[in-house]
Amino acid sequence: MTKENVQGASEEEPQGQSKKGLKKQQKEAEKAAKKAEKQAKLADQQEADEDDFAKDRYGVCPMVQSQQKLDRALVRVQDLTPEKAEQQIWVRARIHTSRAKGKQCFLVLRHQQFTVQALIAVGDHASKQMVKFAANLTKESIIDVEAVVKKVDQKIESCSQQDVELHVERIFVISQSEPRLPLQLEDAVRPEGDGDEEGRATVNQDTRLDNRVIDLRTTTSQAIFRLQSGVCQLFRDTLINKGFVEIQTPKIISAASEGGANVFTVSYFKTSAYLAQSPQLYKQMCICADFDKVFCVGPVFRAEDSNTHRHLTEFVGLDIEMAFNYHYHEVVDYITDTMVQIFKGLHDRFQTEIQTVNKQYPSEPFKFLEPTLRLEYKEGLAMLKAAGVEMGDEDDLSTPNEKLLGRLVKEKYDTDFYVLDKYPLAVRPFYTMPDPNNPKYSNSYDMFMRGEEILSGAQRVHDAQLLTERAMHHGIDLEKIKAYIDSFRYGAPPHAGGGIGLERVTMLYLGLHNIRQTSMFPRDPKRLTP
Amino acid sequence: MPMYQVKPVSPGEIKIDLPTCMYKLPNVHAQGTSCDEHALQNGEVDPTVKVLEARQDDILKRLYELKATVDGLTKTVTTPDADLDATTLSQGVSATVFKGTADLDCLLGKDLGALRDIVINANPSNPPLSLLVLHSLLCQRYRVLSAVHVHSSVTVVAPSLLSCLGPRHTDSYTRHRFELGFTLIWKDVSKLQMKFNTQNMCPIEGEANVARFLYRLLGAEPQDPVLATQMDSWIDTAVFQLAEGSGKEQAAVLRSLNGALGRSPWLLGQEFSLADIVSACCVLQANNCTSAPPNVQRWLKSCQNLGHFNCAYELLH
Repeated sequence: MTKENVQGASEEEPQGQSKKGLKKQQKEAEKAAKKAEKQAKLADQQEADEDDFAKDRYGVCPMVQSQQKLDRALVRVQDLTPEKAEQQIWVRARIHTSRAKGKQCFLVLRHQQFTVQALIAVGDHASKQMVKFAANLTKESIIDVEAVVKKVDQKIESCSQQDVELHVERIFVISQSEPRLPLQLEDAVRPEGDGDEEGRATVNQDTRLDNRVIDLRTTTSQAIFRLQSGVCQLFRDTLINKGFVEIQTPKIISAASEGGANVFTVSYFKTSAYLAQSPQLYKQMCICADFDKVFCVGPVFRAEDSNTHRHLTEFVGLDIEMAFNYHYHEVVDYITDTMVQIFKGLHDRFQTEIQTVNKQYPSEPFKFLEPTLRLEYKEGLAMLKAAGVEMGDEDDLSTPNEKLLGRLVKEKYDTDFYVLDKYPLAVRPFYTMPDPNNPKYSNSYDMFMRGEEILSGAQRVHDAQLLTERAMHHGIDLEKIKAYIDSFRYGAPPHAGGGIGLERVTMLYLGLHNIRQTSMFPRDPKRLTP
Repeated sequence: MPMYQVKPVSPGEIKIDLPTCMYKLPNVHAQGTSCDEHALQNGEVDPTVKVLEARQDDILKRLYELKATVDGLTKTVTTPDADLDATTLSQGVSATVFKGTADLDCLLGKDLGALRDIVINANPSNPPLSLLVLHSLLCQRYRVLSAVHVHSSVTVVAPSLLSCLGPRHTDSYTRHRFELGFTLIWKDVSKLQMKFNTQNMCPIEGEANVARFLYRLLGAEPQDPVLATQMDSWIDTAVFQLAEGSGKEQAAVLRSLNGALGRSPWLLGQEFSLADIVSACCVLQANNCTSAPPNVQRWLKSCQNLGHFNCAYELLH
């Protein structure tokens, strides 16, 4: 019976091309097929004498190896609306939950963040065995169902498609999941704190990251990474509209770009090389090569052994560099406006995603001013002093002070995004242009979201002579940065720029508390896998 | 014709309890009166008057002492710099309008190296005209860094509201060159709000109260308590009955404005004051300038001629 069943299914139901991850699917399917065989054998014995009139309406498909190219349209779960009522359609989805009850079985089918209820009941189209088959399907298996869309009288609160349900007529397994999941999706989306109160399980960060593939299937993760893609897209769109050119820079470099302490060394044939800490030097060289306004999106490596909520050893940098006419504030205005456009775009286009994330991680909506508020470092220190923080005029802001300043600024101006300008020269890298009026300060700036730094930038020294002096002052080996200094010898436009951390922007925009939530496969001092 | 003698009807030495609530007058029939008159005529002072004078002197002395104590207290309260002479302050805040030299250190607390930034959150549906007038007055007195921002709670703001504080200062890239910051944020707030020092000061709510705060920075508020009270009263009348009141109330206010302005050029007499600023802005905003009574019309014209109201007029047209 099993064989026939499977064959029947294969004749009718082989699927269109499998997409990427074919290997994985094959493996899963193989396992699934074996399992199904076993189960079916059991069922065979038990129900040998019972006649199954619906035996070709369900089953496990043979592994999709692109045997046939079916011309069957699959409806996406999110498109299942009351307009489709009474239509007979095919849907591919995962089994989110299943609940059998005597002669019927309720399934919740999920595709991405959308869910719909499906019902299989013993009747004209389904036999007892078919219901039993459906009830025994493992969670997270991928199935194809043919069903009639029915309107429901009462809204189905537990699903995203609340006004319709599916009455299943055929059901075939495309890829079966193992019965034991390393983590339950319901547990993974439970709001923080809820689990503790009711004694229900929550999933800790490491379990999530170890089983990232399943964790990424949760509605929250889906929303986070869709939004992150939005940040990238908006960044690109805004800058291209402003006349920027996207460039690609090398990631394997011969000399450490900033100082040199926190770079990864990699072996490079007979010598060694470094992984780029920032595309800084290359962006600047592009400016010297008359590209005027450039940006690049790419990985950045930091060998900092800091296990904090906001440090990764590899992250995505959104870098901007731009030649200006007379004052580096021209660049600051460009960057802040880009950020404001991103915030506005996210607010307009990703409202559902923001709300989905908020359900699990509640946070206040992100607030900002247009044009962006710009304060000077001295003012920031004065605000901190007024709040009782004692620190030297030329000290860098510590993380708690950064946060406190963020709170003070929010209290007064009600903005989560602001620029702090004119940092002390002593705390900035050697290529930072000193302030023309006060040699203790520099033409450099940081930008903050919810009191945490997301961008650090400055006007760069574009004069080879001054650059040499500054490098010597910092005790940097001039031989190693010779190529860099030389690029300014043949006339260089005054320029400024900065680099933004994509993961940090996503994390802080959504008010999340750990950068690992916004990095798909995070790298930190303790994690190299998956 | 000889008369016979009669015994007195009453004994001569009757003790009568006179009421104490009345003045005591010397007996006109008494023997010694002529003698007293004589003494006064000689330029000698009645001892009772002397006592009275002494008492007055005493009271005045005590008043001076009290004034000195109060002065001392104001000095310690308004100036953290104890070495600053309080007399300069009282001289500075003289009654001459807009010429007083109020010291920002005294009024806003000591400078810690930061720009003293006054942040005003206003709803774009109800622009605070009087504050714009005060802003232009402040700009004449101090180096003011003005900035207009739009908060993310508001989606669309008319361009005229974005430029309502005038063109950007050419030095705006160096914040420390300014004495005062004036940051106007268009935000979805139900009531206008001002924040200055979030640590030690709660936000000030309501346009009238913020106007009073800003006016004090000009060091021009009337020193005479009567005038000061009248000013406050006009401001309250304007805000509660003209800006927020019913048609009936508005008409009543216009009538009383007309009456007051018939007697003097400005609401408080000869001097232009905050009362004129707030009331004029409320009349302008209530949009009944054309139907206003003649004295009010004339007064609005004078306000306009001062030049400080240009920004408000620009927003209205």
